[in-house]
Amino acid sequence: MKIFVLYAFIILVSLGLSHGSSLVGTLGNAYGQEEWKQEYADACAKTQNAMLLTINELKEHIERCDTLQERISELDGLEGGTARKVYGKRLKMCRDLYEFTLNYKEKKE
Amino acid sequence: MKKTFFLAGLFVLIIGIAFAQTGVKKRRPLPFEYGRVVIDNYSKRYRLAPVVFDHWLHRAKFTCRLCHVDIGFAMKANETDIRAVDNKNGYYCGSCHNGKAAFSSCRDDFGEKNFGTCTICHSEGKDVKKKYDFREFVKGWPKERLGNGVDWEKAERLGEIKPVDFIEGISIKRDKFVDPPDFELKAKVLGMPDIIFSHQKHTVWNGCEVCHPEIFVGIKKGMTKYSMVELYEGKYCGVCHNNVAFPLLDCQRCHTENIQ
Repeated sequence: MKIFVLYAFIILVSLGLSHGSSLVGTLGNAYGQEEWKQEYADACAKTQNAMLLTINELKEHIERCDTLQERISELDGLEGGTARKVYGKRLKMCRDLYEFTLNYKEKKE
Repeated sequence: MKKTFFLAGLFVLIIGIAFAQTGVKKRRPLPFEYGRVVIDNYSKRYRLAPVVFDHWLHRAKFTCRLCHVDIGFAMKANETDIRAVDNKNGYYCGSCHNGKAAFSSCRDDFGEKNFGTCTICHSEGKDVKKKYDFREFVKGWPKERLGNGVDWEKAERLGEIKPVDFIEGISIKRDKFVDPPDFELKAKVLGMPDIIFSHQKHTVWNGCEVCHPEIFVGIKKGMTKYSMVELYEGKYCGVCHNNVAFPLLDCQRCHTENIQ
């Protein structure tokens, strides 16, 4: 009887742990997804006044875009594929504009 | 005899010229056709008619930047690679055509019973009655000679149109816009007025990313040399001013020494 209770306890605990970990995983994924979108919004928020950024600030923004591009290229699945395509293009446009402005500023100096 | 040869030669010449004209002359689109784009990434493959997209209806409601930057539509037809599943997931057309802001696009339950909804967009070669009639839609708006026959800039100034530039959840919050200075472009033809290019007039609907660096790569004024031939080929200003914005035939809209 004691052994049966012990086995039942172990099974319940392991079920709980596995459920818990998957829940954490799901939250983690959702959070992770929001995280890259937020990073995109922050990194590309300066496109309208890129001309006011300094050379160093522009370089920082380009670096952020490059790091984020790696993250976006890892998105997979049916919806991830679309997000990768759409946000990949949006990010590229933003990064290219920063680079364009950087080249302009560097040539001007 | 000589007269017969002469007449026969003249006849051949006239016929030749007539066919040569039809061979090279491109029909100018009617006002409601101007800016029309036919999209066929996958439609025919799935036995659907290609999508007919009317710029006039969409540009009256949204800025260029919103669709070509925030939503991610390419500047050339069929370069976006739009799939039905993309629209269904809320991207591209599905950003607005989601059953809330506008009718749904490419839903799973579309079938023979509600096929009519598909044909609102998938309408090339079909006699589909559209919700908006061009003439009714633009009635009373400031007129222009060419293109859609509408002075879009003036229409916005008069409050006839209020193009939306931000969609919650899709657009990102950007800092306040700082307009780069306007500049002059020298005309190459003697007697042709120079162009005063207004950055402000272009950025208000386009932002910066639509043009730089994809369309205008040069970082220094005068570095990129372009001709009207290239513009007519759809390069530089011709990316928009050959298809959607007022056409290149409207010379005095650009070639003016004062900002128009």
